[in-house]
Amino acid sequence: MPKFNYKGHDVHYELYGEPGSPVVTLCNGLSMRTSHWAPYFELLPKLGLRVLTYDMIGQGASSKPILGLDFDDHAASLNALHEHLGIERPYVMGISFGGVVVLKYAYTYPDRVGGILPTSTFSEMDEQLRAHAYNLYMGLVRVGFEFYLDLLIPLNFSDKWLRENKELIGIIKRVGMTSFELYGIQNLMESLANFESITGNLDRIQCPALIMNAEYDALTPRHLHDTMRRHIPNSRLMLIPHVCHAFTLEVPELTSRLIADFVRQVEENRWQGDQSVWIANEDPQKEPVAFPCEGDPLRFIPLPAGEPKRPAGRKTTGKTQQTGRKGAAKSGPARSPKTSGHGKPNQPKTRSRS
Amino acid sequence: MPSTSISVRKKAKALLADHSLGPDQQTRIALFIQGVKGINAAVLAKIEFQPFEWAPYRFLHNQYFKEVELSTLIGRATEWSTNPMVYMEATSLNLALWEKTEAAKYMQAPFQVDALFYEYLALSHAFMADIRFLPLLPAHLPLDTPFLAALAEIEEENGRQIQSQIRLLKDLDIGLSDRDKEQLIDSKWAVVEGLYDRLLSEVTASIEQQIQQDQEAE
Repeated sequence: MPKFNYKGHDVHYELYGEPGSPVVTLCNGLSMRTSHWAPYFELLPKLGLRVLTYDMIGQGASSKPILGLDFDDHAASLNALHEHLGIERPYVMGISFGGVVVLKYAYTYPDRVGGILPTSTFSEMDEQLRAHAYNLYMGLVRVGFEFYLDLLIPLNFSDKWLRENKELIGIIKRVGMTSFELYGIQNLMESLANFESITGNLDRIQCPALIMNAEYDALTPRHLHDTMRRHIPNSRLMLIPHVCHAFTLEVPELTSRLIADFVRQVEENRWQGDQSVWIANEDPQKEPVAFPCEGDPLRFIPLPAGEPKRPAGRKTTGKTQQTGRKGAAKSGPARSPKTSGHGKPNQPKTRSRS
Repeated sequence: MPSTSISVRKKAKALLADHSLGPDQQTRIALFIQGVKGINAAVLAKIEFQPFEWAPYRFLHNQYFKEVELSTLIGRATEWSTNPMVYMEATSLNLALWEKTEAAKYMQAPFQVDALFYEYLALSHAFMADIRFLPLLPAHLPLDTPFLAALAEIEEENGRQIQSQIRLLKDLDIGLSDRDKEQLIDSKWAVVEGLYDRLLSEVTASIEQQIQQDQEAE
């Protein structure tokens, strides 16, 4: 079990794939551990990537200081781990709590990141998220860890998945209950207790950013991801259909495909960080794997964006920021429509295929 | 966690994957838990002399009565052994428990916010956080026997108590830096880890002995 020492704390990590391939680092959500990424250990190397996972200090097999850690230490320890492993420009994906770490990492260490994938996450808390966080915390402290998991499960998984995995859920809960040091989770939650918006720092993130948000994510809803999209200049927002907050566990094939396509686009200078909104196909084998979002991405009710809708013609879009690692590309990705024009800042930019 | 502790726990987990806890093992576990709960209850009994307004009072009052409740619960749920050697060895372990944790020193003067009180909280935290049996059992094993159900209830309650305890460990100002506090907590963990390892070694040895006897009987 490989471990790296950061300020006297052990950080457990796992690294899979061929040396020399682009590295994708996967950052856990609050009550995750490296084994939750197990499908990715095979899927991502098959797609030509190397995958690094690790338990944050306070999680899984890493040290769990009883008195906790500052939130800023998570980005610093991630950077130290990359340095330790000689990984210079990783692509860093983080889900939920890990997504906030990724955002912080990207603007704190801009020279040590090739691209980011903030997923099911937030740069500021809205009142609903605050209320959920309060419920989860009080559930953990007052009722117990099992109830905390009970609260999380319907937020994390879709109805379909819950129906199909009824018998697994009991085991998931047992494994969760027995494999965590309860004070570790509490400490991680408390490290966010004084969390203040980092949205104002997002424009410092210059690397490509593919933001991913599940269609039915009720914990970190669409508008929180849209805020990131609007403030990270070199970004796109990808919506994942029919799933919830922890979709990386539910649809690993699709998620892997999206990660791999993103990395490939950046590596081949085809990435277009135009702040546009996309919808992933449910079938991970589909070509193209995503298509532009034509409706209002902030609505559950699928109204078209920018009413009244113009009868025909190209209707949008935002500035196109071409950013591959080695400079600007002249054309968009083979599977993506080109962009043109300038949309109004702070408004969702959608594309027409007409 | 030291490598010896890891191997002791791995061995226990491997054995418990295929073997249930019989009366001899239940007795050892129950007496150890009652020893731990007994120390906590004996120390916490003096909490009733503290003023109601004292910040830690409500939490420690709650913990005191929970410890008594859970100690009697495991007593009711256990299939007690008829082997006197089990009781002798369990008593020896409980003597070590009192001696190595220096439990008696926390029972003397009234509580006040000082290093001794903090030390006791660290010890109590280590008891609750480290002594866990559920992680050693297979995830698919139903917890539907009285003994396993009682263990589950104890660990769930310990989980709740830990959450409040963490707040006290973090927030109490006893004039120590966080680093010194961590060291103090670590030292208590090391003691509890050693005692729990000893219990697990005795439990696994007892299971192995049982397996051998069963094989000889065949």
